[in-house]
Amino acid sequence: MPRLRLTGRGLWITVLIVPPLAFVALFIVYPIISAFAYAFFEWKGMARGQFVGFDNFYKVLFAPPYASYTWNAFRNNVMVFFALMVLQNGVGFLLAYCLWRGLPGARFHRIAVFLPVVLSTIIVGYMFKLFYHPLFGVVNISLKSVGLGALAQPWLGQDTTALWSLVVANAWHMVGFPALVFLAGMQRIPGEILDAVRMETESEWVKISKVVWPLVAPSATVVFVLLFVGAFNWFEIPYVMAGLDGSPYGSTDVLGLLFYRTAFGTVSSSTQNFGMGSALAVLIFLFIAAVASVITVKLRAREIEL
Amino acid sequence: MAQLSLRGIKKRFRNVEVLHGIDLDIGDREFVVFVGPSGCGKSTLLRLIAGLDPISDGEFQLNGRTMNAVPPSRRGIAMVFQSYALYPHMDVYENMAFGARLMGLDKAEVEARIAEAARMLRLEPLLKRKPRELSGGQRQRVAIGRALVRKPQVLLLDEPLSNLDAALRSDVRLEIAKLHRDIGGTTIYVTHDQVEAMTLADRIVVMNLGRIEQVGSPRDLYQTPANTFVATFIGSPRMALLEVEREGDALALPGAGSVTLPRLPGPEHGRLTLGVRPDAMRLRRDASANGYAATVIYTEYLGDNAYVYARLGDGTLVSVRTGPDESYEPDTPVHVEIALEGAHFFSRETGQRLSA
Repeated sequence: MPRLRLTGRGLWITVLIVPPLAFVALFIVYPIISAFAYAFFEWKGMARGQFVGFDNFYKVLFAPPYASYTWNAFRNNVMVFFALMVLQNGVGFLLAYCLWRGLPGARFHRIAVFLPVVLSTIIVGYMFKLFYHPLFGVVNISLKSVGLGALAQPWLGQDTTALWSLVVANAWHMVGFPALVFLAGMQRIPGEILDAVRMETESEWVKISKVVWPLVAPSATVVFVLLFVGAFNWFEIPYVMAGLDGSPYGSTDVLGLLFYRTAFGTVSSSTQNFGMGSALAVLIFLFIAAVASVITVKLRAREIEL
Repeated sequence: MAQLSLRGIKKRFRNVEVLHGIDLDIGDREFVVFVGPSGCGKSTLLRLIAGLDPISDGEFQLNGRTMNAVPPSRRGIAMVFQSYALYPHMDVYENMAFGARLMGLDKAEVEARIAEAARMLRLEPLLKRKPRELSGGQRQRVAIGRALVRKPQVLLLDEPLSNLDAALRSDVRLEIAKLHRDIGGTTIYVTHDQVEAMTLADRIVVMNLGRIEQVGSPRDLYQTPANTFVATFIGSPRMALLEVEREGDALALPGAGSVTLPRLPGPEHGRLTLGVRPDAMRLRRDASANGYAATVIYTEYLGDNAYVYARLGDGTLVSVRTGPDESYEPDTPVHVEIALEGAHFFSRETGQRLSA
């Protein structure tokens, strides 16, 4: 090992690396580790009680009534993940393909598609809450104006539509991100390869499924993993649009909301419980880390060098 | 059977016209080479024939059927791209099978065609490899194989040798010539290399600035170039163009004296352009020779012969082929003699050939 001299280059490297490392250690690593520790104790408000082993984990996973909340929220997260996979990544891919093939207006839409991504989630949430308003929301008014008034409904007020309404809002907000990543992936495909496919078929479906899609696989890995992490950490949109309780009737409850409610308490439902909240946070973290690693490894294997 | 007919083909990109009306007929089993400098429109023309870009104006017929609106995959045309454009995620077999399956061929037929192409192109040991595991020459053969399994009526090749090193280039050139003979389809080949054009073509189409300058066999183009562009483009080293003044049988070159050549074409008096290839000139040391005064610049020794570069009195640089044993020191004053049978005459104004 060469000794790191604190002069010139070595000094620069030290100065540039130590502060961010310290920052990450203090605000990310330490809280994660302390959350692990908190999860093994009984808490009375802010006061730490006895060491209780895996008691908190057992409660959130298996003991009524907490277990039913957890599994309900988890089920909703899973549905959100698959719905966003289709609605956000699927539409994002198709948008990217249209932009790439240079359909009329592609230059304008390349920017337009990405614009919502830079909006604050809070703004998007409130905006869509207004859109979905049962009386003067633009969705119901539009439906009525084209004679489909029978389809108008309180989108956020009934458990059959609430979660999907949130999914649509999220997809609209974030669709520009997968579109941009996929577009970048497509632009890496050499033009002559597309020409070569065109010499062999005119079917857009064959071009997409057999050539374009396999070749953008590297971008897909990033997009899938980020969507997975995002879907299971989902918080802002449901918090803003449906509230901390995941109303109506827990139909929009997700793990993020449940964790927040459990750890910090709400006006309506519960007092704060750091132990169970930390246990939930640890479980969410482990689940996301494990599955995201598996997805990454599996998808990496499919990637192709151009 | 494949007969192509191009009538008044124009191509515009936005407001810029890059092909100004191409008329060309290509016969069955013909090997035609489009040659010209970069930007002359040869690759554009090939892409129009392939259908990859739309034709702005004019008509393209294949076997009497208008093809302007037919998508590329239905024209019965296959193309080999400059970068080979193999599908990176498919192995060699799949690369070749992909297009064949899309034609609706059954499994046995696809396998038979691939086996045949693989045998012809010596690809059998490579069938399970991915393109990135192949050398340039091997990729090239796969790209050709992929085109062949579709049994196209017309095979298009866009500068297929430009990504290969010099040694491989002449081997692959030979293979392409042999392949064309064995398969017997119509082949159109684009290159900027006149040696490739001369060695491969039945007919060469020389293009410049979006127009066809001349169409003819390699021999035609070399022996009777239609204009000064073709004259200087075909042949290496280039033909020298001398801006001479004609007075009867005498051709005067300012500052270099006068040469007498009998039976000249064109008008008795006036300015014309005299074109001479390196092999139609001889160097003389004595001042009485019937040649232009020049000064030797340097000599390129090539083993079986040598090229002497000399500057004529008017400043024109000419290269003269000499025997390998003749040697001329730089700055030697010489006279350049011109063989009548190797002299070409062009109009000074239009650059067109003056016929005898």
